[in-house]
Amino acid sequence: MRNPDSEEQRITEEQGWASIYATLDRSRSSMYMAGWSSIMLLWGAIVAVGYVSMYAVGTWAPDFAAEYPWYPGPLWLGLGVPGMIGSSIIGHRAGKRNASGPSATAAGLRVFGFWMAVVAAAFVIPAASGLWTSDLDPVGIAGTGVGIIALGYVLFGILHHPAIALVGVGIAVAFYLPAHFAGDVAPVLSAALIVAVVAVAWAWTRKSAVA
Amino acid sequence: MSEGTIVLNETIHQSTRLRIMTLLVSRSESDRVAYPFIQRTLDLTGGNLTIHLRKLVDAGYVSTAKEFVDSKPRTWVEATPEGRRAFGEYLGNLERALDVTFR
Repeated sequence: MRNPDSEEQRITEEQGWASIYATLDRSRSSMYMAGWSSIMLLWGAIVAVGYVSMYAVGTWAPDFAAEYPWYPGPLWLGLGVPGMIGSSIIGHRAGKRNASGPSATAAGLRVFGFWMAVVAAAFVIPAASGLWTSDLDPVGIAGTGVGIIALGYVLFGILHHPAIALVGVGIAVAFYLPAHFAGDVAPVLSAALIVAVVAVAWAWTRKSAVA
Repeated sequence: MSEGTIVLNETIHQSTRLRIMTLLVSRSESDRVAYPFIQRTLDLTGGNLTIHLRKLVDAGYVSTAKEFVDSKPRTWVEATPEGRRAFGEYLGNLERALDVTFR
């Protein structure tokens, strides 16, 4: 059996000090990322369903879209609430598998609070900026919401893991490029691209055992 | 050994065990951490983690317990009060060795 105290395992005082700080950072981020890959996959699916639904309504029920131009609000709320509940359950179960005790509970509550704030902002900011009222542009509402969610990923990634920040950038690109260049099929293209972004990120996190 | 020489606890002052102890002690006293979480967070192989945990358990710094979570067996690891005391002492000595001040 390999000697656990071999020469290469010896450390200096400086290395010991640096190791303590690095471990504290890594340990905290690992707690906050509990269940992240599954939650990300869930939201990828939710966003895809939302876009495809908007495309379907615009294509096959234009009269409905004209009569109820505010329909994206209830649609996204209807998708977002189960998403939040699902994320909470996934995060709670993953956290329970990682650790038990007050620190684990506090980490779970912080992550929950962070994402609740992001999701609330995605609804409140379009409302406050008047997007929900007259002359509605469903793509504009969705774009504002997606931009805020993508920003949430970027901020969370800056704090805990660069891969999450890249997912945020990927989500933004997957929405904004088709919205500007793909015309009527933009929602479907965005849905496909977002699913692709989260699927790649999910596969990478499983392979690298990040979450 | 000259007078005033700072001796660091050799059980803790080792690359892997220092990281394990840091991870465990940074949590509340009633917190327990799952074995796979330690392995994943510290990027250790199962064998490596087991060897170092055994050393820490033998020193009385860490305790382990097996339980079922969601019908699956899980090994929980936690720092003992003795382990927390030893780690605190180690930190104090490390600070003195490095002449670290927080003022």
